[in-house]
Amino acid sequence: MERFQYTRARTIPEAIGIGAQATTAQQGAPVRFLAGGTTLVDLMKLNVEHPTRLVDINHLALNAIEHMPDGGLRIGALVRNAALAHDATVMKDYRVLSEALLSGASAQLRNVATTGGNLLQRTRCMYFRNTAMACNKREPGSGCSAIAGDNRSLAILGTSPQCIATNPSDMNVALAALDATVQVQGSKGERTIPFRDFHLLPGDTPHRETVLEPGDLVTHVTLAAPRAGATSRYLKLRDRASYEFALASAAVIVEVSGGRFGNVSIAMGGIGTKPWRMTAAEQALAGAPVDEATIVRAAKLALADAKPQSENGFKVELAQRCLAHALRLATGMAAS
Amino acid sequence: MRLTINGVPRDVPAGDHETLLAVIRERLQLTGTKEGCARGECGACTVLIDGRAAYSCLTLAAGCADSAVTTIEGLGRADALHPLQQAFIEQDALQCGFCTPGQLLAAAALIARTPRPSEDDVRVALSGNLCRCGTYPKLVRAVMQAAEMMRAEP
Amino acid sequence: MTTAVGQSVSRKDGIGKATGATKYADDLHFPGMLFGRTIRSTIPCGRVKSIRMDFDTSGFTIVDYRDIPHRNVVALIDEDQPYLVETEVRHMAEAIVLLAHEDREKLLGANVVIEYEEAEPVFDPERSPHSFKDITIEKGDVEDALASAEIVVEGTYRTGHQEHVYIETNGVIAVPEHGGIALYGSLQCPFYAYKALRSVLGNDHPLRVIQTETGGGFGGKEEYPSMIAGHAALLAVKSGRPVKIIYDRVEDMVATTKRHPSIVRHRTGLTREGRLVAMDVDVILDGGAYSTLSAVVLSRGCIHAAGPYRCDNVKIFGRAMFTNTPPNGAFRGFGAPQTEFAMEVHMERIAEQLGMDSLTLREMNALRPGDMTATSQVLKQDASALECLQEAVRRTDYRRKREELKGTNRGIGLALFYHGAGFTGAGEQRLASKARLDLTATGARIMVASTEIGQGTRTMHAQIVSDALGVPYETIEVAQPDTSVVADSGPTVASRTCMVVGKILERCALEMKERLEGMTPAQYHAKHGAFSIVKEHIQPEWMRWDDDNYQGDAYATYAWGCDVAEVEIDRDTYEVRPVKVTAVQEFGRPIHPALAMGQIEGGTVQGLGYALLEHVVMKNGAMANPTLTNYTIPTTLDTPELDIVMLENHYDGGPFGAKGLGELPMDGPAPAVVNAIRHLGLDLRDIPAIPETLIACASL
Repeated sequence: MERFQYTRARTIPEAIGIGAQATTAQQGAPVRFLAGGTTLVDLMKLNVEHPTRLVDINHLALNAIEHMPDGGLRIGALVRNAALAHDATVMKDYRVLSEALLSGASAQLRNVATTGGNLLQRTRCMYFRNTAMACNKREPGSGCSAIAGDNRSLAILGTSPQCIATNPSDMNVALAALDATVQVQGSKGERTIPFRDFHLLPGDTPHRETVLEPGDLVTHVTLAAPRAGATSRYLKLRDRASYEFALASAAVIVEVSGGRFGNVSIAMGGIGTKPWRMTAAEQALAGAPVDEATIVRAAKLALADAKPQSENGFKVELAQRCLAHALRLATGMAAS
Repeated sequence: MRLTINGVPRDVPAGDHETLLAVIRERLQLTGTKEGCARGECGACTVLIDGRAAYSCLTLAAGCADSAVTTIEGLGRADALHPLQQAFIEQDALQCGFCTPGQLLAAAALIARTPRPSEDDVRVALSGNLCRCGTYPKLVRAVMQAAEMMRAEP
Repeated sequence: MTTAVGQSVSRKDGIGKATGATKYADDLHFPGMLFGRTIRSTIPCGRVKSIRMDFDTSGFTIVDYRDIPHRNVVALIDEDQPYLVETEVRHMAEAIVLLAHEDREKLLGANVVIEYEEAEPVFDPERSPHSFKDITIEKGDVEDALASAEIVVEGTYRTGHQEHVYIETNGVIAVPEHGGIALYGSLQCPFYAYKALRSVLGNDHPLRVIQTETGGGFGGKEEYPSMIAGHAALLAVKSGRPVKIIYDRVEDMVATTKRHPSIVRHRTGLTREGRLVAMDVDVILDGGAYSTLSAVVLSRGCIHAAGPYRCDNVKIFGRAMFTNTPPNGAFRGFGAPQTEFAMEVHMERIAEQLGMDSLTLREMNALRPGDMTATSQVLKQDASALECLQEAVRRTDYRRKREELKGTNRGIGLALFYHGAGFTGAGEQRLASKARLDLTATGARIMVASTEIGQGTRTMHAQIVSDALGVPYETIEVAQPDTSVVADSGPTVASRTCMVVGKILERCALEMKERLEGMTPAQYHAKHGAFSIVKEHIQPEWMRWDDDNYQGDAYATYAWGCDVAEVEIDRDTYEVRPVKVTAVQEFGRPIHPALAMGQIEGGTVQGLGYALLEHVVMKNGAMANPTLTNYTIPTTLDTPELDIVMLENHYDGGPFGAKGLGELPMDGPAPAVVNAIRHLGLDLRDIPAIPETLIACASL
């Protein structure tokens, strides 16, 4: 691992001040905030990231889960994934989030990984992680090895000729469905970013993954008050039963009344270059009868724009089936 | 840097870039903690940090300065085995032994939080620790036995 | 009367492993030690044009093929594999240059620039122009029998690579000592490494190989350690300092051996009632770029290719093909899991085509004592195919479940299998393994090269000696294998460590007991001092083997098994999960029931991974998914309920009636699982059964 200066930040302004000295907060940033480290330390060992300054933010007071006056929930960026998943309110009112967190990684990683870190989790594309291979995300302009490589686990939505890397987070899929907002403090003050705007599509700049600028520190993720009467579920498909990233996953939040769908929120993971909100499918479901035909039609619609890579054509059908089944689970048409 | 390993504070001449695993194994010669993948993908390097199971290969030692770290050497000794170690031996829940220290610490973290685990709790808690010898059924039996032993004599 | 054998005594290495005190290769440190690194080819086929050291070489030891004092060949069967590339590159990740330095970061930072002239590689074994080995087993007249058969069923079955994933990667330390080398390493076969070092270093150096505690092998540390041992020794000889090489996980997965992928074609003739009359089997193994052990893997694969069935007309033709990929090698089962997978899935398809129940088909054709195998070996009373089948059927209520589960999301399937114990044919005779037993002041010490790699060698050998000698188990010590002091008991492979080496030890102990003349070891030692007994393997006198025609007694005995797998499918998502596996296995007699259980459970879990998860993706001749995230092996949560039944049928030639067990459990799970998936209506003939494979066969 390359050498760096390690600083333990005592206050948020101190951390931001150091961060703001950098020229970028994206791939290759010279200053990095260290939280759980499960992504960052890994990438530093692989020499994919090589910051010269590491600001340890673990001692900042950002580890609380707070109930908001409007009935929502404010989650500190340093709340560990295990703590969030097992929080009584999250388990009761935001089941989709708890299920998503518990479906990811292993107990050891969930104990350490944080809310903010998971939000910024980097792709597991093997070519991104291997400095011997060309990768536009790691080294802009070097090319994409994945397009002609082993791309079984990579994206079919939101890809560009420059990058097909998948966002690997399960938590992000749930947050996308929950319409979470991300609170950021930076050198110019605080701002709130809707979740759908937080992650960027790769386009011609796959090295830019989020809207974060130098000095920006994610402080909280906020969830709106739970929708009364809604049911939420997270379904993750993969080869083995644990400790593996998704081939396809679906977070669904469903309201049903009088045999018809009300508001429906759907996000999917394992298939998109960012957590993927399925608006067309949501619209198709709203007001439609809760039956098999509706569900299958919506699932097909959700994947209508999918562009499979050379080795992951199966993901189109798998994702459709994943979404359909998540909807069946959420509506009680299937038992889990 | 100052680290508290197995209850003993130690001053370690380690660099900020060194992982907890490297410091434990190479600077402190506590070689019971194993490296199987160095990427958080196998669990062989599991230690307890403030009582929680974590992968030491993905942890910077510098970040552990205020934490209590427990390695397999701190769990029990040959002449004073921890109930989990006793149960692993009695249930023959180890074969090649390379994943064993990590399995034991993952199990210790579970029992500390869940003194009366179900078999499914054990399976979930150990699912981040690969065992290629496939000792899984015996691991589950051993952890259940140890939990019972520990409830009997706390 | 036995007091240790048959009991689950506490294992000799239990406390050391449970406390973390046990030292593995990477836990050892020697003064002045350097770290070694291997610079490998980045093309699958071609020639090296130039090599340039693009770094400050001060403090580095650099070795290429010109530094090899003796022969640049890894001594094994056919001597075609070099330690270091001279000019021709045959596969990705082939070793070209070795570096050593005391600072690991400097070592990893060193940039070696190699220019190549690339050539067209061969990746498809069916299109390869070169076979390492052809084997034909012929009995009766297959073509005639096929022509007159009432029904002929054909099928093709494929299996992929499988990676060993021992949790401890390959690692060795070469230490200069007395003008020669002491090699410490994680390995299964100390004398293989010893012979390999002799070949690379020549006869001028004193040599010894010491096995360090080994974190799993499964065949993956049978022949490969000879390569890494040679590399470390070359660096140690040149630098004059100890050199440690520990592979990281990616290097271990990319560069070292795997299970041979296979393509097996069956053409089977039967009577309308279901009696097998002709079996024509074509076996293709992908050998990779050097022959290594492919010839013998093919041999075992072919011998087991007709399954545990009787048939008068059999032709098995096998080839191990060259491809420009890293050599494939030994992996638990050694060719048999591939061919028995094909046979057992084929049996299910035969039953379907005959419109009969596959259980009846198996019962009708299963080998019984007195029957003849494909190599015309007449089975003795220790053949238990029917007993295993019947017990598995009874225990799982198979017939009822098979009917009841029809049309549900649960399927049940079965596989019947067997595994020859020990080296094939005259192999054990040629090997002529020796064992030594030393009297000590308190008991006896076992001095063999058989390695403990988790399976319980130390414990099980000590139990055998304890009972044969009539002294307590606790008084038996087991020496760490060191080629300078232990007897060459042969490699720790081929399910031979209990049956073959254990038997020699039993004979040593019996002779020692006679010499003691009723005294305890302590009494005798006090009076006369220590002594040693050395014995050599005795091949059963009835065994006959014709290696040219592959006819005769292929193995002294076979272990037998029947696995029943129940799987659940989510028809909405194609998730297939094993729910329960019942494994009924007969291996003579368990010396240590808990250890034997561990072997069966462990082999079954590996077999489930082989069937359902483990997918090596090859791109341009190299493993493209060489991490434990992208190549997934089972976890606790992937392991279903396992119901293990150990049947006894003593083999007179084994210690206390025991046969070999290590590999048998690997043969059954994959076909049992695939047959259970078949029961759900999916025509699956290839493994691993990953979602895309299942989707493909469901949409047919």
